[in-house]
Amino acid sequence: MATRLSINEIRYIIDGVEQDFRTDGRAAEDYRHVELESRVLPNTNGSARCKLGKTEVLVGIKAEVVDVDVHAPHIGKLVITADCSAVASPKFVGKGSEALENDLTNILSFIYHSTETLPLKELCILPGKSCWQLNVDVLFVQCGGNLFDVASIALKAALHNTTLPKVRVSGEGIEMEMEVADDPYHVWKLDVSNWPICITLYQIGCSFAVDPSEEEVACSEGYVHVGVLPSGDVSSMEKSGAGNIDPTVLLEMVEVGVRVGEDIHNQLDKQLEAEKSLAKL
Amino acid sequence: KAVVSTQSTGGLRCDGRRPQEMRKLKCELGVSEGADGSAIVEQGYTKVLVSVFGPHECANRTARNHERAIISCSYNFASFGAAVRKKKMTADKKTTEVGVMIQNTFEAAVMLEKFPKSQIDIYVQVLQGDGGERCVAINATTLALINAGIPLKDYVCACAATVFQDSVLLDINNLEESYRGPLFMLAVMPQTESIVQLQLDHRLHNDHLDKVVRETIQGERERESVCVCNLCV
Repeated sequence: MATRLSINEIRYIIDGVEQDFRTDGRAAEDYRHVELESRVLPNTNGSARCKLGKTEVLVGIKAEVVDVDVHAPHIGKLVITADCSAVASPKFVGKGSEALENDLTNILSFIYHSTETLPLKELCILPGKSCWQLNVDVLFVQCGGNLFDVASIALKAALHNTTLPKVRVSGEGIEMEMEVADDPYHVWKLDVSNWPICITLYQIGCSFAVDPSEEEVACSEGYVHVGVLPSGDVSSMEKSGAGNIDPTVLLEMVEVGVRVGEDIHNQLDKQLEAEKSLAKL
Repeated sequence: KAVVSTQSTGGLRCDGRRPQEMRKLKCELGVSEGADGSAIVEQGYTKVLVSVFGPHECANRTARNHERAIISCSYNFASFGAAVRKKKMTADKKTTEVGVMIQNTFEAAVMLEKFPKSQIDIYVQVLQGDGGERCVAINATTLALINAGIPLKDYVCACAATVFQDSVLLDINNLEESYRGPLFMLAVMPQTESIVQLQLDHRLHNDHLDKVVRETIQGERERESVCVCNLCV
């Protein structure tokens, strides 16, 4: 995955980004073609596969009933785990992928941990006792740059088609009992209208770009993850990577991130709605 | 003991197949651009992705062999793969064992003498498990090696079987596996009919052994012809 570039190639790429005309002809704000497939894993409650450039990610969501967290007894849980498969690169065999996986898990959990944006209250079954825990497993089958954005798009699509069995709560007080429905068609879906997606902006030279190719990542110094809500609000932000970012450039980055994020949300929502009309569930 | 009846009236299995009928097979080659060779094989609901890297220089200089290539294999099961979610464990004994099994299988099948002092990496990722994951992994590895252009002595086809009420059931799914009957896994090179790998779990009566081996090999020949047709496409 480490790309070796000559000094001239680096200069060429940086100049391209600064002049808003990258090596493959895209502008700094343009994403590459996104391929998205929903409900690819029948074993899960919800799943999606997303391919962007050379990165391919599989997201599987499995739900289980667990005890509530003592500090948050009225909401459900969302646990995100990232996994870089060895099929993506020989470097990911055994413990080789640990550092990258930790990074991915932390950033994705960070983007998705804001309780105001996420309808975690819906996941509560018996307040103070039981709730749904959504185990989100993000599996990177190919790693070719821009991992966070692809993961978050796949995550949103997977959450959109996640179905949870209906739970019948009976009894009162301490004797409350719950019964999870067995019928595979007796299900409900989460409201994902307010879930954020992550837009990562890479600083390249004096300018910045979204969705960089591997070569562009090699020329970049520092990047910013912006969690963008469909309404255009920013839910979270984090700067990573080695490199300093100028504060004025940072504000521009966030502006662009929000613009791109809103656009992606619109397109994604349109596609997901169209898909919903195809399926019965 | 709760035994799932795998045969309803008409002699059909729980998913509507006849005893010797194999599951629907779907294969796709060249799915992973970064790898030298890759393949995804789906048998019923079991889906396995295999990537092959190499032959390339040995990562570990002490392990390299001056006469032939070495094979390094890693087998991983995705957390969302099984019906019940599994947390990822890096050095799980079972997955290491399957990795070694696949490595041994292909050391017999790959023409290793053509690449002295090199290493061939085989990485198996089970995306979805519904029975027979080891077999699907072997089938997918054969296709991935072919996609990588690595010379093989023959295809390696694998199939899992069990015996239920005196009849041999081929290509068993998860439900049939959990029934706790004898679990027989066989990998052969169909042209020469030589057995590359054989594993048997639980008990199998000696009288049934011959029948199981013959019928499994028959099933694998069918599998091989499907794979060949697929490759021609």
